[in-house]
Amino acid sequence: MDMLANAKNTVFASALIILAIMLMLCLLRAVLGPRVADRIVAVNMMGTMVMVMISILALKMGEGYLIDICLIYAMVSFLAVIVITKVYMGVYRERKSRKKEDVNV
Amino acid sequence: MFEWIRFIAGTGFLATGIVIFAIELYGAFHYDYVLNRMHMAAFGDTFGIGVSLVGLMLINGLDFTTLKMMLVILFLWCASPVSSHLIARLEAATNEKLEEHMEVEKE
Amino acid sequence: MSRKKTEKEYEKTFACHFFRWLHGEKDLYVGQMEMRPQEVYQESKEEAEKRQRAKNILLNKIYGRKKSKSIKYLELFYRLASILFCGILIYLLLLTVSWLPPIGVADRPVNNEVSKRYIEKGLEETGAINIVSGMILDYRAFDTLGESHVLFVATVTVLIMLRLDKKHDNGTDLSIEEAEANDRNYEPKNDAILQMSAYVLVPAIILFGIYVILNGHLGPGGGFSGGAIIGAGLILYLNAFGFQKTERFFTEKTYKWISFGSLSFYCIAKSYSFYTGANHIESMIPKGTPGAILSSGLILPLNIAVGLVVACTMYAFYAMFRKGGF
Repeated sequence: MDMLANAKNTVFASALIILAIMLMLCLLRAVLGPRVADRIVAVNMMGTMVMVMISILALKMGEGYLIDICLIYAMVSFLAVIVITKVYMGVYRERKSRKKEDVNV
Repeated sequence: MFEWIRFIAGTGFLATGIVIFAIELYGAFHYDYVLNRMHMAAFGDTFGIGVSLVGLMLINGLDFTTLKMMLVILFLWCASPVSSHLIARLEAATNEKLEEHMEVEKE
Repeated sequence: MSRKKTEKEYEKTFACHFFRWLHGEKDLYVGQMEMRPQEVYQESKEEAEKRQRAKNILLNKIYGRKKSKSIKYLELFYRLASILFCGILIYLLLLTVSWLPPIGVADRPVNNEVSKRYIEKGLEETGAINIVSGMILDYRAFDTLGESHVLFVATVTVLIMLRLDKKHDNGTDLSIEEAEANDRNYEPKNDAILQMSAYVLVPAIILFGIYVILNGHLGPGGGFSGGAIIGAGLILYLNAFGFQKTERFFTEKTYKWISFGSLSFYCIAKSYSFYTGANHIESMIPKGTPGAILSSGLILPLNIAVGLVVACTMYAFYAMFRKGGF
């Protein structure tokens, strides 16, 4: 089954290279975007692409336990989005109400 | 013989998944406003990773690793739409000029 | 300027932007991204007065400067003594470093036979398939005990610096504490979608964390990573439901008892191992067959203890940064 192993390796390697190029373009989107939500969306996309790359690597090296890292990474990126949106909305509303107070007073 | 069929099917799914990611990336650059881009990103993320991981599961065969990948898919299908909802709420609450891009209901 | 296009059309093309950038006539940041051109920071008088008042309150409360003269002398002595102590410590550490062997000598302690023995005989002496776990929890368990204590000391340090006391002395003290509590007034609370997904996800995350802790000796993982995962699950619960509901099951008492209990259990269990090992008595803890969950002696209980300490520490850090106590 040597042909099968060769074919598998080729498929995995090419998928990894394509995903890596797309990762760089996502980073471009994160730098360019004019609003804050743009950047959060771009970082989320990068996280998902990295997850697919980790799964491909786990199959390529034959080590099955690296999929746990995928799960942990998904959880961490989810938590990051939750905390950032909560804190940013709080700060924004506080500043707005303070400005309104100043204008009224 | 059976292995070759499984391998080719798995490669097909994986290629479809990567094409979906590429479409998502193109959509993120093409639109003007952040909520349109977010719609593209959420849709491409969940669908793309589902199809790619199904392809990888087919290449691998039935194993403990395959079950773990199914767990990753389930977790992401529960968590990613909630992320999009939170980002959309952030954008709607902090944008002063929302009426330029869409109709806003007066409460 | 070009002959085929008008001025306005030319300004929109790519070539115009490129040449403007090339000659340095264009400011890259204004109008494009979120940055505004910066102005000089003017501090209004009230803000300066408020800052000065807060600083005076803090100094009076901690140092009691206005109270007596002996405290001033004590302060001076304290500063001199601390400088002297740091100087002696630096000197001693540098002296120890100068005794290390130079690079490249063949009989350095790194190249001796210890690592070969760990790899060859690790499985049969500790019973753990994951040799790294066997090393940090069996061969070098003393270092891991020190590491758990370092985690504990870090939490205590952050507690000292960030904690808000609940005593109200007089009118001016309220300004600092009220300002902290009002930080979270405007945040969005009780989002229905987040709560529904937290109902489903938090048990799954905590279960996964327990799986990683219990399989520390069979595959990668162990106490530290499993504890971090459980801590993340608790943070998700807190974000979705708020502080009131979380304080129903995780208060300061819980944190104290869990940390104290885990660290004491670790000390007692490892003291037994040290005692029997040093006096060449046969220890009665079974090693089991490698590959089963209940195997490899003491590694499983120690993993559980370390995992609990790490989970509590992660949650405590988050709560202290958000609220100033828990």
